[in-house]
Amino acid sequence: MMKSVKLKQLDIMIKKQLLFILAVTTLGYVNSAYSQSPISGFMQGKGKGNISLSYSSEKYDQVYLVPNLADGVPIFNEVQISSASLYATYGITNQLDVVFSLPYITAKGDASQEVLNNLDYENKRSGLQDVSVFVKYNPFYFDYGATSLRLIGAVGVKTPVGGYKEDEGLQSIIAIGNRSTTVSAIGLAMFKMDSGFFATGQFGGNFASNEVPNSYISELKLGYAVSKFYGDAYLANQFSTSGVDILGEGFQGFFPATRVSYTKIGANVYLPVYQEFGVATGISTLLAGRNIGKATGVYGALVYKF
Amino acid sequence: MKNINIKSALFAFTLLTTFVSCDNDYKEEAPSIASIAVTNEAFSTLEAAAIQGGVAVVLSNPNPNDPSGDYTVFAPTNDAFARLGLVDGGSLGVLQNSFLTNTLLYHVSNGNLLANQIMDGGTSTSALGVDRRFVMREGDLYINGSKIIITNVSASNGTVHAIDKVMLATGVNIVESALLMNDAKVFTSPELTFLVQAVVTSGLAPVLADENNRFTIFAPTDAAFKAAGFATVEDVANADPSFLQQVLLNHAIADGGTFTCEQTSTTATTAGGNTLTYSPFQNGVFTILGNSNTTPANMVIPDILCSNGVVHVIDTVLLP
Repeated sequence: MMKSVKLKQLDIMIKKQLLFILAVTTLGYVNSAYSQSPISGFMQGKGKGNISLSYSSEKYDQVYLVPNLADGVPIFNEVQISSASLYATYGITNQLDVVFSLPYITAKGDASQEVLNNLDYENKRSGLQDVSVFVKYNPFYFDYGATSLRLIGAVGVKTPVGGYKEDEGLQSIIAIGNRSTTVSAIGLAMFKMDSGFFATGQFGGNFASNEVPNSYISELKLGYAVSKFYGDAYLANQFSTSGVDILGEGFQGFFPATRVSYTKIGANVYLPVYQEFGVATGISTLLAGRNIGKATGVYGALVYKF
Repeated sequence: MKNINIKSALFAFTLLTTFVSCDNDYKEEAPSIASIAVTNEAFSTLEAAAIQGGVAVVLSNPNPNDPSGDYTVFAPTNDAFARLGLVDGGSLGVLQNSFLTNTLLYHVSNGNLLANQIMDGGTSTSALGVDRRFVMREGDLYINGSKIIITNVSASNGTVHAIDKVMLATGVNIVESALLMNDAKVFTSPELTFLVQAVVTSGLAPVLADENNRFTIFAPTDAAFKAAGFATVEDVANADPSFLQQVLLNHAIADGGTFTCEQTSTTATTAGGNTLTYSPFQNGVFTILGNSNTTPANMVIPDILCSNGVVHVIDTVLLP
């Protein structure tokens, strides 16, 4: 009995510290290595939550085209994307969380001034991108004693808030978003052991407005979570069900219509620092892709939990 | 209890691993012509030209003007562009976009033209509407004056052959072609302005514009005229017309108009009756020496096809 209460307290502590990992933004368009799933296997608990501010930076100078990886990004040679994101999550009940994120994104190319002059292009695009709000529901929790299994379902919507453009022809290689309003549905299972090790798997669908193809996302994550440390490593996948290939049949220079798929790996770490504050950091890189930059990036986040 | 744990763990992991799969089906697909240019470093200037000239999207898609849906593209390498001083995408800014687009279209034709279908003396109509002709020389195949150095690269929407020189065609006669340069419709800055004045002042314009007269023309640049002692275009306008006529006729060969690869002789008789001496054909060009020249002229822009001949822009005035 005593053991069970202690474990429960520990579990709550861990839960409280975790969702910030998602501070790294969600469902970005700019071929972001950091478009992690917004949904984790941990719940906040009623009246609790966290707010975080994150900064991420990633870069690519190769692009997964069909069928080959291209060295050098057309026109822009190399693209660097940085984002500052506000992320918050709040437990409405013990079984229901809301998750909010809003990134400000800056994408910079490295085209020569002559090339920019020839095409009347610019090396930078920046702005507020898309706000996303998810509602996350945890109806099932199976406690097997030393282990547990949690099942979660989430639905969310992402929609543009900034006035950024996505239809500037090949200038939009560095567009910061695709201006689609996307509805997402995600199912997640988390298996957890009292030792702190856990595994989560999730699968979801994105249903996009305008010409953006629908896509499936999946993520497999293995991690270790105790009261003073959190770490995970993940393998994530996006598979677009339709769309055109860049420079392939049907391509009209309109990037939102392209079929973006990828497989990436990444890792996240969180450490509590002082009272309610903690820091998170992570890395991520693409292993394979289609119509996406071969990006590698890092992020850091400051997290406040309440 | 333990049994349940193991079962649930297995269930969870099976579920998780089935989620993750890759979209790798496309690895076997053929790239489009545009994609070949983008993914091959030897074509990076062509890639930039196709973007600036507005044909990158066209060459990504099937050809709507041919039942096969295919194009044939003779693709100039980076070295080919560099011969014209176009060393990277940025340097393409010296060209007018409309000229760039037309030049690119001159490298494109409908359908698949494979190397084994190309015959010496044969022709092929470009997407610009102007023909190109094929020449066999010493076992090498040329299209106009450009050597075909890689053949039959297969694309999803056609065939690519690599060539060592950019092909140029104006679609108009020799005088009108010179005027395009003079009026900055080729380069963004005027060129051949001294030559155009010389043609006008000498009274040779009607001869050189006549579609029935077919010439090979060596066209000295403005810098060449300055080096020959004409400080300004006005100096040319004020020169003795018969002198100018004599000089200009030393730049014209009434041989029907030949590309560099078609020139096998080491001398040529000009329309003025004098002799020009050519160096051996090497790396796609040769030098030209006039009777009174001390140093030979080099080709700056070889093999420009006009409706009544071929023009080679040179860096020295050929003195009779």
